[in-house]
Amino acid sequence: MQGCVEVSDLVKHFRSFERKEGLWGALQNLFVREYKTVAAVDGISFTIQRGEMVGYIGPNGAGKSTSIKMLAGILSPTSGTVRANGFEPFRERARYTRTIGAVFGQRTQLWWDIAVVESFRLLKRIYRVSDADYAARMKEFDEVLELGRYLHMPVRKLSLGERMRCDMAAALLHNPPLLFLDEPTIGLDIVAKENIRAFLKRVNRQYGTTVLLTTHDLSDIEELCPRLMIIDHGRLLFDGGLAELKRQLWSETTVRFDLKDRDQALIFESLEIPGVRREKLSDLSYRLSFHRDSRTAADLIRQVVTAVDVLDISIEEQSIEDVVSRIYQGGLSEAVRCLR
Amino acid sequence: MLRYLSLFGQYFVQYAKVRLGYRGDFLLSVATMALATACGIATVFLIFRGVPQISGWSFTQILFLYGFSLLPLSLYNMISINLYYFAETYIVMGKFDQVLLRPVNPLFQILFEKFRLESVGDTVLGVFIVATCARAMDLALGWREWLIIALASICGAALYTAIFLMLTCVSFWMEDRVGVIPPVYNMLAFGRYPLDIYGQFIRFLLSWVIPFGFASFYPSAFLLRKSIGTYIYALPVVTAVFVAAAAVIWNRGVRNYSSTGS
Repeated sequence: MQGCVEVSDLVKHFRSFERKEGLWGALQNLFVREYKTVAAVDGISFTIQRGEMVGYIGPNGAGKSTSIKMLAGILSPTSGTVRANGFEPFRERARYTRTIGAVFGQRTQLWWDIAVVESFRLLKRIYRVSDADYAARMKEFDEVLELGRYLHMPVRKLSLGERMRCDMAAALLHNPPLLFLDEPTIGLDIVAKENIRAFLKRVNRQYGTTVLLTTHDLSDIEELCPRLMIIDHGRLLFDGGLAELKRQLWSETTVRFDLKDRDQALIFESLEIPGVRREKLSDLSYRLSFHRDSRTAADLIRQVVTAVDVLDISIEEQSIEDVVSRIYQGGLSEAVRCLR
Repeated sequence: MLRYLSLFGQYFVQYAKVRLGYRGDFLLSVATMALATACGIATVFLIFRGVPQISGWSFTQILFLYGFSLLPLSLYNMISINLYYFAETYIVMGKFDQVLLRPVNPLFQILFEKFRLESVGDTVLGVFIVATCARAMDLALGWREWLIIALASICGAALYTAIFLMLTCVSFWMEDRVGVIPPVYNMLAFGRYPLDIYGQFIRFLLSWVIPFGFASFYPSAFLLRKSIGTYIYALPVVTAVFVAAAAVIWNRGVRNYSSTGS
């Protein structure tokens, strides 16, 4: 099925040898090598339906790139299966690559020295795009990405943002039903980011293109991806909608209290408030966090204010970054537990 | 097949445009290449001029061989440029990922993405030397001989490509930046002179282990009607064996890359 991805129990082991330090170590390396096996991807399963836009996030070294490379057919899985567009990516790479588009990070797939439009013409030949389709697509890309200005410049003279736009266009020239993006907005300014996002949304809406993208910029996810997958240590920690992640983790409310003086602080510390996590920010200010289901902020504030002399109260919103960094630090279950 | 032929044309034209775009750089490399070749020929003059014969080879015959050796070598040089950068650019810097993402044979992309255009100078020079020496020796070169020259040159270029491709493949398993290629490349020079002048060991080495002798020596000897020239009949077989071996090793290398990500 075009534009659909099925992954089950995907595992990728890398065997690397430990390099010893120093000259003596280097000599030892020549003769004795101690290998160790690292599971970069450690049993991942998921299904992506046609037309979905899925964000794939995780800290550096979590296994994102390795798994996306397996999906793209560049790496072979150690075990487990991948099916995408009806193909087994690694085994049937020659036919499979015709049906996907990919933009991998900061590396360009365009020819460095030739004008952008010449690269496009070469890709047109490679992917056998008809003249009519090519003309129509170039016109469309030009509308959204405004490529016209640098079509005749060699790639090496383009700025990162300009090049990324060209790379996007190049990846979609043959209108693939499935698109892999590895950090498509990294290093771009806000205008270029918006531009790329608008383009992706449009392509997804118009052609039903399935998109899997990795990113460190969570606003990419908020704007583009109704579904996200969080991976760490080669395992899938979370797979669901942003709304669901919010329901699971966002259920925390935080209230900050600034107290009048040290005496008040002592009284505050002796207060018994069940179901609330306390954090001391300084001598006179505290942060209280609690699960939204257990009580209300008004209730908590009333309880505190009647007992202690409070100077200032503020209710703090938690950002998606906080949530995700908490997941990265301790894993999802840990994050859920510490919030409850 | 037809598609690849057309793609080859496209790749070539694109690259040619780029190279010719940097006019100064291009002219400079043509000049450098010509100078290098001139030095090689000067060496032949210096060493063999005063000697009437070496191991049954006259000076003109040696020059003929030298001229002939330029033909397969220049064809090989034309397409081999990426092999030298393979470890650094494609494996270490990871450009090979990009290659695997395109629906075009990976080896095709590596060989035909860049060309050493200036090698054409050597091809022309080689033809000129061969023709001149043949005339000087009253050796008639009809269309049949030129066809043999062309086919042998193509086989020789394929043989060189196969040998150096095998060496290039080392970087699929080992991060090899310095490379085993340069020392072997230097051995090419042995094939420019009659194998008869070397000892048993080198003759065997250049015929059956790293068969550079088949690319220029045996075909030249055949054209010069020397008895040892009958070895030329083995040329297609040797080429086929080495090309097949290189293809197998290359494919294994690609598979290894895919399982290690290097």
